[in-house]
Amino acid sequence: MEIWRLPISASQRGKLISSGYTSLSSLSSISSSDLARELKVSESEAMNILKVASHSRGSETSNASCSIVEGAQSAWDMLHDEESLMHITTSSADLDNILGGGIHCKEVTEIGGVPGIGKTQLGIQIAVNVQIPNDFGGLGGKAIYIDTEGSFMVERAFQIAEACIEDMSEYNRFLRKDFQECKIKMLPQDILENIFYFRICSYTEQIALINYLDKFLSEHKDVKVIVVDSVTFHFRQDFDDMALRTRVLSGMALKLMNLAKRFSLAVVLLNQVTTKHTEASFQLALALGDSWSHTCTNRIVLYWNGNERYAYIDKSPSLRSASAAYSVTARGIRNSSSSCKRIKMM
Amino acid sequence: MTPQSLLQLTSQKCTTGCPILDRLLYGGIPCDSITEIVAESGSGKTQICLQLSLHAQLPVSHGGLAASSLYLHTEFPFPFRRLHQLCLSFRSSNAHHFPVNDNPCDRIFVQSVHTADHLLEIMSKTDPFIENSKNQVPVRLIVIDSIAALFRSDFDNTPVELKRRSSLFFKISSKLKALAKRFNLAVLVTNQVVDLVGPNEGINGLRIGNLVCLHTSGRRVCPALGLAWANCVNSRLFLSRNEEVIREENEKSNGQSCDFVKKKMRKLYVVFAPHLPESSCEFEITREGLFGVER
Repeated sequence: MEIWRLPISASQRGKLISSGYTSLSSLSSISSSDLARELKVSESEAMNILKVASHSRGSETSNASCSIVEGAQSAWDMLHDEESLMHITTSSADLDNILGGGIHCKEVTEIGGVPGIGKTQLGIQIAVNVQIPNDFGGLGGKAIYIDTEGSFMVERAFQIAEACIEDMSEYNRFLRKDFQECKIKMLPQDILENIFYFRICSYTEQIALINYLDKFLSEHKDVKVIVVDSVTFHFRQDFDDMALRTRVLSGMALKLMNLAKRFSLAVVLLNQVTTKHTEASFQLALALGDSWSHTCTNRIVLYWNGNERYAYIDKSPSLRSASAAYSVTARGIRNSSSSCKRIKMM
Repeated sequence: MTPQSLLQLTSQKCTTGCPILDRLLYGGIPCDSITEIVAESGSGKTQICLQLSLHAQLPVSHGGLAASSLYLHTEFPFPFRRLHQLCLSFRSSNAHHFPVNDNPCDRIFVQSVHTADHLLEIMSKTDPFIENSKNQVPVRLIVIDSIAALFRSDFDNTPVELKRRSSLFFKISSKLKALAKRFNLAVLVTNQVVDLVGPNEGINGLRIGNLVCLHTSGRRVCPALGLAWANCVNSRLFLSRNEEVIREENEKSNGQSCDFVKKKMRKLYVVFAPHLPESSCEFEITREGLFGVER
């Protein structure tokens, strides 16, 4: 966990320590261009340092922290782990802001809204954005897309993938004028190949698939996000035994949470909206009931406000309640283009 | 369980018979998906359904599905005469695809449906029916005209009954989607509208889709069957019709004069669809069928 153990030259080590980078975890979430600027070295040198650091981190066992209970971690280590986790951007800066950088890994995020608000679009955008390579601030991972409704259209995913690659090339051109090596070699077809697409037609298939994901993920360790669109469709039919439905749903949620934690990936569940019959009036609520609402870590509600689409953080242990505007364009999810948009803090 | 390769998954579309409408819909009505057409009566829903049933028989190279269709109708009587009329003009413009004594109407299977339970019964029999049709011309299109008629009268307005109704929606939709996936079918469903009373938009002030409010014949309307059914379909299209008064310049013997003429303005809107942007286009209904109008 120490810098002085890294196989780099003495002058580089000196620069790292004098700039304040004393442990490996502090190097885990910085990009090479920022590091180059801080150490006043060339970008390729910074790149090398980061590569060496990540190699050492990978081969090291975390026996430095002694724990009282087997498998337990100290809160300090957990804080370091959390800081080093990356987020999956949604391609809308406002949305990323209220999400604290993007969709969190190791957590289950539920996103719900009325039909036509952009849930499937957001799902596809996340499945594409998880593949953004490390050099561009992404996770460079693959995605699993579980389609229960048949809303996934390949041509739309292709459109979004194309736009993502174009954006990466723009970024490349503006910020890395001297760094030739990082050319975009990705094609939209490559992005589509890295999305593992499952189509399921009944709730038994859904449960079977989620049980199978354990095995699938141990074979494909580079999957970094699971998107389920939508998790509720097959459960809204007649269940003779509602208690069975609640048990099945909580079992499923538990499994997904386990997968998220074990494989360090993000789980995104898309949900529908229903009307709740309260004493006097009808209220809108996410489907599947109250017991389901406890099972997800984060909850985001998408809604219309006038002519704009808004996202609202309904529940989160670490983010404050806020709402932000976004729009669905031909290129995918982007910032809302209205000039009077504002992020409302609650 | 193995994941499907996205590169091999191309969504086929069925042409509507009009290049302008096809352009709006990015090719036509998609397969393996439920498309809903919402409109008040007399706006052209049945016209589109009949037209699609005919054009589904075109070869794939011409935008069709080379398939026969299953037409489930709930409102009586079935428009046989109009179908024959459309069939004649379809044959004359596509004569080179069909042999001389062929009647495209032979490949449209019509079944009347009376209640929601009857529909579920029919769908359980549809599986073997479509399986058998693979030997001749396979069925690749299912039309339900209209789904609203099945649910308008059978259910009371109590929460219990409404819950039962919405679980029926999900059951029907789930069966349709399973059929659509298994046989790669396009499913077209038509729905009616209900009037909107009160200051809010949508039911309980709820907006669904791209349009703030749906207008037709000068009234504010919203699709029937509510939020639950809206969750069951993949795409929704809205047909509106309005009477517009426009000026028309007429050359008369005593010089130019202008008349105010009442014209029927018909528009097709995309309310929501996973692959379509917000768009609309004008169309007209003639003897030959329903065609988009480029202005």
